[in-house]
Amino acid sequence: MMRALKILAGAALALSVAGGAQAQQVLFWSTQARPVEETQKMRDEVLKGFEGAVDYQVAEDGPWLTRLQAELQAGSGTIGLLGGLHGDFSTVGANLVDLSAVDVGGVKVNEAYKKLGMLGTGEQKYMPWMQATYLMAANKQALQYLPAGTDLNTITYDQLIEWSKTIAEKTGSPKFGFPAGPKGLKHRFFEGFLYPSYTGSMVTKFRSAEAETAWNKFKELWQYTNPNSTNYAFMQEPLLSGEVWVAFDHVARLADAFNKKPDDFVAFPAPAGPAGRGFMPVVAGVAIPKTSPDQEKAKALVAYMLKPETQIATLKATNFFPVVDVKLPDDMPASVKAFGPAIATMTSAPDALPALLPMGLGDLGGKFNQVYTDSFERIVLGGEDVHGVLEQQAAALKAIIDQAKAPCWAPDKPSEGACPVE
Amino acid sequence: MSVATETPVAGIADAHKAGDWLLIATAVLLCVWVLLPIYLLIVNALSSPDQVTAFPKRFFPSFDLGSLSFFINFAGVARALWNSVIVATLTMILAIGFGAPAGYALSRFDFPGKGTFRFLVLMTRAFPLPLLALPLAVMFIRTGLDDTAIGLALVHTTLALPFAVLITFSLFSCIPVELEEAAWTLGCTRWQAFRKVILPLALPGIAASAVFAFTISWNEVFAAAVLTIENRTLTAFLLQSLGESPLYLKFAGGAALVVPALIFIFAVRKYLFAMWGIANR
Repeated sequence: MMRALKILAGAALALSVAGGAQAQQVLFWSTQARPVEETQKMRDEVLKGFEGAVDYQVAEDGPWLTRLQAELQAGSGTIGLLGGLHGDFSTVGANLVDLSAVDVGGVKVNEAYKKLGMLGTGEQKYMPWMQATYLMAANKQALQYLPAGTDLNTITYDQLIEWSKTIAEKTGSPKFGFPAGPKGLKHRFFEGFLYPSYTGSMVTKFRSAEAETAWNKFKELWQYTNPNSTNYAFMQEPLLSGEVWVAFDHVARLADAFNKKPDDFVAFPAPAGPAGRGFMPVVAGVAIPKTSPDQEKAKALVAYMLKPETQIATLKATNFFPVVDVKLPDDMPASVKAFGPAIATMTSAPDALPALLPMGLGDLGGKFNQVYTDSFERIVLGGEDVHGVLEQQAAALKAIIDQAKAPCWAPDKPSEGACPVE
Repeated sequence: MSVATETPVAGIADAHKAGDWLLIATAVLLCVWVLLPIYLLIVNALSSPDQVTAFPKRFFPSFDLGSLSFFINFAGVARALWNSVIVATLTMILAIGFGAPAGYALSRFDFPGKGTFRFLVLMTRAFPLPLLALPLAVMFIRTGLDDTAIGLALVHTTLALPFAVLITFSLFSCIPVELEEAAWTLGCTRWQAFRKVILPLALPGIAASAVFAFTISWNEVFAAAVLTIENRTLTAFLLQSLGESPLYLKFAGGAALVVPALIFIFAVRKYLFAMWGIANR
């Protein structure tokens, strides 16, 4: 036993001195595609086609940022390319290389996301890489009740209410569905869809007159909403069972319905309100830190990531959608075929109003969501006075934002210091 | 009341019996406590994905090697495993190399600040690693220690050192100083006396504290995740990915982490028991 240990120790010492020599490859340091199967696909199917070798390494948010900060402070690094969500980059913007000169060939990158990638500066801090979001889905049986003159691609909240009302009256039961169960993502609907659409804001105008209108409209919609909605988490199930004909949810939570019964459902953009078509994109981007050892090669990799073929491979690997104009091939799952056009329509609509996931809240994110959930429960389920509830919840919201000292994020205008709640 | 007055002998026998039962029950409980999670881990790692999510659980696995073979073929696993072994072994050597002399000095010599030293050694465990990782990484990048096994081993050594010092301190304290003095009177130098008399007595315990250092290094995630990229250890490599993976892969990955450590502990169990044996003497 001791001899074995000695041999092992000798080998370890020898190796630790000799090791370290690595082929020159771009280190892709990413917080995305972390599940092992996705990581594997990123390596084998997405990145294999790049001419220079790529080493795709995933890290959790903490180590990802710590490692990056260490390299920036040390002034030299091994990370060639960063991959992360919009929020991941917002804290390190000053140390990212301007990517506006990257030659993406003839590829047309989504303009709204490119603007997000500037992080409020004049430089392209990160390049959009892939996206996911929330959508509406409808059973084709519901289409016959669409109000005259309504186009699903440009639907408004008023039209949605009227549509749901007609369905409820004609079929005898409310058939709009909403993931308001304990595990449902209802808070994202209020934060990223309802509020921006009516107020053009998520935080600042929380208790404005426009916000009161929004809640009253939602109360109206709730009359035609399946009361079981307070139990729903994934809308794909009630859609498949026919309990619900029209629904809102995250694409990943709708996909199963489309894959199991591709001919029964249509997907379409979230509705628009007076202030625009508010929607919450989940945007991931790629960026190059100033310490990147080979910036030219890293920039080539950025361009490679945006190629239509790469974007399609990425979609297959991660279920995140392309951010460039691309025609999806025929061998995609039914859900992808249905969602792709709907997402493209929504994100590039003239009245599109992207609202980002809350940023800079750290571990207060849960409490932030609770403000919106509580407002929903008190106003819509409890029937309390809208004005009074918003006054109280605004105080709670302000306390959270002040504690986190979080500056405003889109669609609210950038702020000095903590985002104000008017 | 009646039991106590009737026959005291029977009462004692009953108490003995109850005590035995308690002992057995505790032993069984402890075994289940340790073995049940390992059992579930192994069964699920050896089952197909459908069976992992199914209920009720099968008692015997179906020996479906899909999940495990995915891991073995997952790029970098073998290398990460090898890195883990190297780093843990280096940690072991360094921790004992520094810790055992310190432990010996603490047990044999009186020097000013001895109490403070013992306290300070423990203090190194008081700083959370996520806090230290950033400055450490900056320093490592500047000095070229970054992303090397020896660099990570140095960090793990600071984590393992307090235990190495305190365990060896109690070991040496338990070996009578008279043995050493006897060797000196018979013509041994201080070093010879240590090597020929003290070391053989202390060796099993030292080996045990080495094992302890090995497992500390094996289990450490955060420093490994920040300080190494190409040369990730298995723990850092897998934990980054496993958190969000499907259940069956979590089980397979868990097994991949636990089984090598179990084999190692099993191989050196003799020394582990020796540690307690000596410490209790």
